[in-house]
Amino acid sequence: MKGKIIKNSDNINTKIREILESLISKQIFDAVFVPVRVPTGESFTYLLIKDKNILKDCIPLPPIMSVQGARAFKDLTRLGKLKYKILCVMRPCEIRAMIELSKLRQVTLEDVSFLSLDCPGVYQTADYIIEPEKYDKSFSSLLEKWEPEGLRPNCRVCNHFSNQEINSDLHIGFYDQSLILVPLTKKGEEIFTSLGFESTDDLADWENRKNELLRRREEIRNKTFTELHNQTNGMEGLENFFKGCINCHNCMRVCPICYCRQCFFESTDQLRRESEDYLIRTEKKGGIRFPVDRMLFHLGRMTHMSLSCVGCGVCEDGCPMDIPVGQIFNFIGDEVQKMFEYLPGRDKDEPIPVLTYKEDELHEYEDAQETK
Amino acid sequence: MAQTFEPNLIGFLCNWCSYAAADLAGSNKLEVPANLATIRVMCSSRVDPIFILNAYLRGIDGVIIAGCHPGDCHYQTGNYYARRRFALLSKILKTFNLDPHRFRLSWISASEGQRFSQVTKEFAESIQKAGPNPLRKKPFID
Repeated sequence: MKGKIIKNSDNINTKIREILESLISKQIFDAVFVPVRVPTGESFTYLLIKDKNILKDCIPLPPIMSVQGARAFKDLTRLGKLKYKILCVMRPCEIRAMIELSKLRQVTLEDVSFLSLDCPGVYQTADYIIEPEKYDKSFSSLLEKWEPEGLRPNCRVCNHFSNQEINSDLHIGFYDQSLILVPLTKKGEEIFTSLGFESTDDLADWENRKNELLRRREEIRNKTFTELHNQTNGMEGLENFFKGCINCHNCMRVCPICYCRQCFFESTDQLRRESEDYLIRTEKKGGIRFPVDRMLFHLGRMTHMSLSCVGCGVCEDGCPMDIPVGQIFNFIGDEVQKMFEYLPGRDKDEPIPVLTYKEDELHEYEDAQETK
Repeated sequence: MAQTFEPNLIGFLCNWCSYAAADLAGSNKLEVPANLATIRVMCSSRVDPIFILNAYLRGIDGVIIAGCHPGDCHYQTGNYYARRRFALLSKILKTFNLDPHRFRLSWISASEGQRFSQVTKEFAESIQKAGPNPLRKKPFID
């Protein structure tokens, strides 16, 4: 693979900022969608930026994911396609979620270009806000060392942290204090040339390190998934896993994929019932817990969104009870995606498995009953 | 006489085929499990996996979804989607080891009253063998 290596980029944010400024100056894009540190300092947010002067404050690769990029972007194309050209600077999992949302017709990607970044992972927001300076410092060394310690658990097992199977236009990698620019699509190629770059540099070093990291990540991933599988065996295991759940539905609210304006579990159909209904339910069980449908919420959400789960872990970050909900969704997502040979965000033309079918398939599920 | 376990069953039946098959089975005086509660849906693809999970978590012993044979869907393709969703749900249930044997997807056309009787009887027997849903007496799990 060939690309452009920009040497001595010790501060990657500054270098990427320069690139973004130049893209705005050259009017290749009307605006960029990029994370920025909030003025008080301890958090980050996405800004749609037109003014070059505000671009000075952007942090393309923040140490936390306070909001998932796809979740943030969703409102932009609520009423149809953009009437201007923008560049989204996002982590790989955020772009993958964007692609999934486009398949679900929740965003329109016309006139949207993607700049993806090598992502070493993020810290958990709850940890970060206590000691932002400490984590800012350790994050800057993370791009050299790529150590999984202290990261969000889903980031530690992430196997799509770079340009692996990604639907991005231009990718920026980091290696040995250098910035690695790789155009991935025709659109990306155009952006790349307009910046005055040529794909002349050999990227073998960066790729070798990437593959080595991937091999290490896969090892941790397999081990973690086996542990999760053992932990969640049977309803007892599952109940134990979710024992702290307070049924707040925050995991659903922060999830980029959960797009329903009203979740089934918060719908009137589900919640406005005659008091007798509840009493009837107690007849078999002896009693029912309130608020109702806690396990149904988690299992039901799995059936609704696990095929598109990109494993970003923002649900776990948002859980007030510290339930490893991101890990279990990542695990079950991996299982069901493998079953349909599907990878969310890989290709915007690859339909979500439940939105398509083949005539001759899955006969093992017809009339088949598992024997105990 | 020893008390035998009579499973509580739910059947989601497609309006255009299995529901009519159930009707036909009745008119022909064929035997159908008495404790099968049928719910008429306009298509097997109307059955959200949540309906099935809901029944299971509330303590229902077995759930059967019946639709038109592949190629015969009243809406052309609904049953193909139903099959994919059922496969997805089965995979999740199997992964967490949550009684996947309590769920069944069958194709029963409007003329197959005999088959309706046979499939539901077979299903009831297998659930009877499997025993009651362990979640029946678990008030904390819903």
